[in-house]
Amino acid sequence: MNLIAQTLADGLVLGGIYALAAVGFSLIFGVLHVINLSHGILVLMGAYLALIFSEALHIDPLLCIPPVMAVLFCVGYAYQRFLIQRAVDRASVNSMLLTFGVALMLQNAMIWVFSPDMKSITPSYAFTSLKLGPVNLDAVRLSALAASLILLSCLAALLRFSPLGRVIRATAQQTMAARLCGVNVRHVYALTFAVSAAFAGAAGIVIGIILPFSPMDEGAWTLNAFVVVVLGGVGSPAGALIGGLLLGLVSTLTAQYIGPAFPNVTMFLLLVLLLLVRPNGLLGNAFAPSR
Amino acid sequence: MSLLTVERLSKNFRGLAAISDVSFAIEDGSITSIIGPNGAGKSTMFNLITGYLPLTAGEIRFKDRRITGMATNRIAELGIARAFQIARPFRDLSVFENVRIGALFGKAGPRDVAATTHLAMELASIASLAEQPASSLTVGQLRHLEVARAIATRADLLLADEPCAGLNPTETAAMIDVLRQVRSNGVTVVLVEHDMPSVMEVSDRVLVLDAGRLIADGSPKQVANDPKVIAAYLGTPDAS
Amino acid sequence: MTRNPTLIFVLVAAAVVVLAAGPLFLPPFYVRVGQLMLYSAGLGLAWAILGGLAGYVSFGHAAFIGVGAFTAGLVEGQLTGLPPLLLLPVGLLAGAGCCGILAALIAYPILRLRGTFFAIAMLGVSHVCAELTNNIDFFQGSMGLNFPPIAPSGMDPANFFYELYLAAALFILLISWLVRRSRFGAGLLSIREDEDTARMLGVPTERYKRLAFVLSAVLTGVMGVIYAHSLGYITTDSVYRDDTNLSLIVYSLLGGMGTLFGPVIGAFLLVFVTQVILGRLLDFHLFATGLVLVVLVLAAPGGVAGLLKKRKGTAA
Repeated sequence: MNLIAQTLADGLVLGGIYALAAVGFSLIFGVLHVINLSHGILVLMGAYLALIFSEALHIDPLLCIPPVMAVLFCVGYAYQRFLIQRAVDRASVNSMLLTFGVALMLQNAMIWVFSPDMKSITPSYAFTSLKLGPVNLDAVRLSALAASLILLSCLAALLRFSPLGRVIRATAQQTMAARLCGVNVRHVYALTFAVSAAFAGAAGIVIGIILPFSPMDEGAWTLNAFVVVVLGGVGSPAGALIGGLLLGLVSTLTAQYIGPAFPNVTMFLLLVLLLLVRPNGLLGNAFAPSR
Repeated sequence: MSLLTVERLSKNFRGLAAISDVSFAIEDGSITSIIGPNGAGKSTMFNLITGYLPLTAGEIRFKDRRITGMATNRIAELGIARAFQIARPFRDLSVFENVRIGALFGKAGPRDVAATTHLAMELASIASLAEQPASSLTVGQLRHLEVARAIATRADLLLADEPCAGLNPTETAAMIDVLRQVRSNGVTVVLVEHDMPSVMEVSDRVLVLDAGRLIADGSPKQVANDPKVIAAYLGTPDAS
Repeated sequence: MTRNPTLIFVLVAAAVVVLAAGPLFLPPFYVRVGQLMLYSAGLGLAWAILGGLAGYVSFGHAAFIGVGAFTAGLVEGQLTGLPPLLLLPVGLLAGAGCCGILAALIAYPILRLRGTFFAIAMLGVSHVCAELTNNIDFFQGSMGLNFPPIAPSGMDPANFFYELYLAAALFILLISWLVRRSRFGAGLLSIREDEDTARMLGVPTERYKRLAFVLSAVLTGVMGVIYAHSLGYITTDSVYRDDTNLSLIVYSLLGGMGTLFGPVIGAFLLVFVTQVILGRLLDFHLFATGLVLVVLVLAAPGGVAGLLKKRKGTAA
């Protein structure tokens, strides 16, 4: 009983992080129809930036979230505007390959700069923990989950209520109509990418405080994001949350009860199965015309 | 002999009747037009005949064989070909290669593929464009390509979806010529068409659909003078 | 390609003679590079039967390299009494056969997916196969498998495998050529262009897709088995490689997607660039491959063949 409760709690924490790490990927997929294979790189950039900031300024890593998001916002904007846009209009495989190429280059660059070793960010409260009935939750995990949920809500609100969110949704649903209404589609694409990169960076920080990370992980984070999106549905924070939690629970449950080596196998079997029964994910595509 | 028989055909989309209880038979060697206002169910009719959509009720027979529920490619093999209104060429392939795929997967024997391909291009008068990539053709030429590719399968029945829509008068006249050529080569033609002058000129027989029902069936002249048809197109003055 | 078949044939025949004679005059380093080129070309050709012709871009063909290699290794491990030269055919049959069966099994669900979803699902297949190989003791993926030496005595193994790769690559080239000029090949092309229209014209799209998938898997498996023998010792990581998954796409992109010789040209070029030009800069390897990819997508989306065509187009 205790073991189940503990496993479920761990799964939820992990799921929250998966969701946050995937939401940007999902948004780019939904709006630009680009599979961003360099998404994991953006996540790791957030983690490494937080490592630098928190060590240099001696502040709590979670306080690094605003500046890191600002930096990645700019990076994301420029990346889309100057590179990806050139491949967007062509076949989807092209943008996929372009982002893969960038991922390879930046992974290599990160290895030079930060070494291939595992790094981790240690906040001051790393060893405080909290007992909730049978479940043991340390303060780090709790704050990670809280940060994930808060950030996801912020993005949901941004998309739902802000003018920027409206323009993004309009562009995703009817690109041509939006263009005719005077929307600068390239600018919106770049802004979408910027927002996505910013949230990927924030996810990197949250990941950094509970898991060790290295440049080698970028592929895994990209793949996780893809699985989350396929599970939950494209384009919406709610879809990412559902997909993320599902993936988190499946991973921890598989690791606990089937074997520590099999989370990926279960994950992909689940993925392929789901693609076959519900090709648009559990919540469907947030930007598809509703019928 | 009837080549195609449609009996009491119905199709509902989520409870909405797109086709209700339509029956007709197409004579071998004829050109028949299906006309009707927008949303009358003309294109749905083609989608049902080709097996692209499952039907709700009724039966379709082709050459005295029940084809309801067959896979699209099986129906195509039996000899029904379709030319789309919005041309869907294989863009990266040449005109010749496009038509050749029709011939390869149609009823021509392996030795006749080349001859069939050339004959189809001849009939659709695009033989001079053979080496051009399909992506370089004009809208009118693409329609001809659609027809050529469809008849290259050596189909007995050609379903042509608005072959003249959006064409200028010269192109329309050329298309009508092509349809006549096709028929004189032994292919039965059914077309869905909006362009009334061309319908009147080319058809032996006209079927009129309105709101999913068959409201008239006869020669172009009979249909043109049928009060029900006029009402369907213009609205009844005394209704409402 | 169709311009002058005799000329093409003469050129290919001449190239084969020169290639076959390669080990006679090439220094050992270049024999190894040549092996890698021929191996890559064979894989690229096998991949292109599905990816280039039918347009189903797979991101996980390393699955079949791995399955082929491990099946052959496990089967040959049971047959230690056999003479070495009989082992290879048995291994090839078992490895390629197993790939065919696996492909036939997963074809039905996975080919219902299109575009990106198919690509990523194949990546999933490759990762699942790799993890199962690594974690189930029977497959010995983490410990590694040994392959008996099969080169005839008196012949340098490097030269032997070079010729073996050449023969296999030529075999796959021949099959690709036969497929392209057949009705089956035309059907695959029409599937790539527009699957719904193809079906409407009577192309048995489902059957053709499955057939292309299985054929591509079997031929990839053949290459995998030879690769495993040339390494002599394999682990999960040495055969299920994500960089292979990627490279197979790059070969076709670089040489010209959907053309017969595209994957060959692409494989030769990429291997030459990464092994010979960048061979000494191991630290930059990933960076350079990434850069090649980025430049390629931005500057030459049609590959070398596309560039040539464009050049011809502007000149005419």
